[in-house]
Amino acid sequence: MSALIEARGLTVAYESQGRRAIALDGADLTLGRDESLALVGESGSGKTTLGMAIGRLLPRQARREAGDLRIEGRSVFGAAEAELRALRRDKLGFVFQNPMTALDPTMRVGRQVALALGRGGGVRDLLARVELADADRVMRSFPHQLSGGMAQRVVIAMAIARQPLAVVADEPTASLDASVRDRVMATLSRLRAETKTSLVILSHDLRMVAHHARRVAVMYGGRPVEMGEVSRVLANPAHPYTRALLRADAGGRSPGARLEPIPGAPPVLGASATFCAFAPRCPMRQAPCDGTRPELRAVEGRLVACHFAEAALAEAEASR
Amino acid sequence: MSFLLQPVRAYAGLWRRDWLSAFGLALLVLLILLGALGPYLPIGDATRIAVGPRLSPPSWRFPFGTDELGRSFLPRVVLGIRATFLLSAAAVAMTACIGALLGMTAGYVRGAVDQIVARAADVLFSFPALLIGLLIAAAVGPGETSAIAVIAIATLPLFVRVVRSVTLTLSGRGFIVAAEVAGASPLRVMGLHILPNIGGAIVVQLTYALSIGMIIESALSFLGLGVQPPNASLGSLLRQGSAYLTFAPWLALSSGAVLSAAIMSVNLVGDAVRDALEPLEGRSLT
Repeated sequence: MSALIEARGLTVAYESQGRRAIALDGADLTLGRDESLALVGESGSGKTTLGMAIGRLLPRQARREAGDLRIEGRSVFGAAEAELRALRRDKLGFVFQNPMTALDPTMRVGRQVALALGRGGGVRDLLARVELADADRVMRSFPHQLSGGMAQRVVIAMAIARQPLAVVADEPTASLDASVRDRVMATLSRLRAETKTSLVILSHDLRMVAHHARRVAVMYGGRPVEMGEVSRVLANPAHPYTRALLRADAGGRSPGARLEPIPGAPPVLGASATFCAFAPRCPMRQAPCDGTRPELRAVEGRLVACHFAEAALAEAEASR
Repeated sequence: MSFLLQPVRAYAGLWRRDWLSAFGLALLVLLILLGALGPYLPIGDATRIAVGPRLSPPSWRFPFGTDELGRSFLPRVVLGIRATFLLSAAAVAMTACIGALLGMTAGYVRGAVDQIVARAADVLFSFPALLIGLLIAAAVGPGETSAIAVIAIATLPLFVRVVRSVTLTLSGRGFIVAAEVAGASPLRVMGLHILPNIGGAIVVQLTYALSIGMIIESALSFLGLGVQPPNASLGSLLRQGSAYLTFAPWLALSSGAVLSAAIMSVNLVGDAVRDALEPLEGRSLT
């Protein structure tokens, strides 16, 4: 099986004023063709860093310390400037959190989309495909004349303009109105299915993820700690962190039910963790958690990085 | 053509409607028209000697009086307006292009290029313009060329600094990253996305640089390092007039007043342009 995107032991650190913080700590990730994957986790879990690493779009202070990320078998970090440009242009698309800053305020929308399309043309068709009514008016408009939802549709159109192999969407609906959120996501999902493009959604909205992604990777302490089919992972999580995350999420609760916050705060790693990064907040913590770093291993149809994944599943089974 | 007019109309809508800016704009237009049309106006020849008595006070025939060679002073002042505006505008326009290019490259490419450009701008900035003027005049001889060179060197760091800093803040914006993701080359990003977005800052800087350029040009010409006779600039006329200040004050007064008016009009227009393009509150262009 050839993975489209594959990260192996990717470690990225941010350095500023002599202080070092590990954003990705040996992260492993695979994304196949025609697949939708959601990266979920708290702020600081490294999901944005991992998502942006796909296009080597890391900020200047970020340094890759170990590991690699390959697209179709070719290293992104080893690529030369020109090769990287071609890769971003032809194989990747990005949708950013705030559509208003993702569009050039001084350029008409039609021209921006045409630039993203390259020589091909067909701006009107493309805008129609992202379900923008009145494409002609949108093309003549400047970004500030569009609503947030419309602007995000334009950004999505630009991201899929060259039929990329993968689209990375960083919190694509976080800055949008609740009423347009689902519709924009539905458009994105439909286009993904139609074009057989792979989609990586970075999000902390578990409910949205359950609807629009097939696979999910739960990030903690700079790496995915549980990865598998959404139906399996969210219905019956094996990692204590995933379980805590679900208990803290308001989405699936009946009114009046108590939400359980996760005690403590996400870690800021100064160096690669030689233990389980979740241990200090984990209700199931035992001796090996502080001494041995759990690696991803297959447990009941998903990958989990926890020494006691089986026990966690059994406990969940017993309490049901 | 409407797409060309549209931004003009948009800017016209932003123009601050008060009498001070209107006065500045009217004064500037009047001075530019005078300078441009000077040779064709029925005000007499600027270089003909002994058309009247020497150092005669202002009269109907010679509104600004005559100088020590019996030349009518009004056409000479008009000639001076022309030289002062032309020299500083040419120098500033040239500098704006070079400065914008350097500042944009430094701010966008960063790294070693940025360090070199920014430090070089700091060095230029700390150099007194008049000292450079003396050096250049000594090296290539006084004249228009050295005046332009001095103005360019003195105003270059203004552009580099401002353009670099606005480019720096712009570079992190989503649409720049989006363009990079779409595979745009650095040249394309700078030309298509950065330049239109920093246009306002460049235009504002342009007006300030123009007034600085006019002051430098006048100072150089006053010291005899700029425009050479029989041509005249407002600075060289002021120098000429200062020699006869006690018994023919109209020479220094008229050229000095016109020079002040010219610099003031440029500054007033500059303030209005800044208010229009960089409002402290209200709607932002970006």
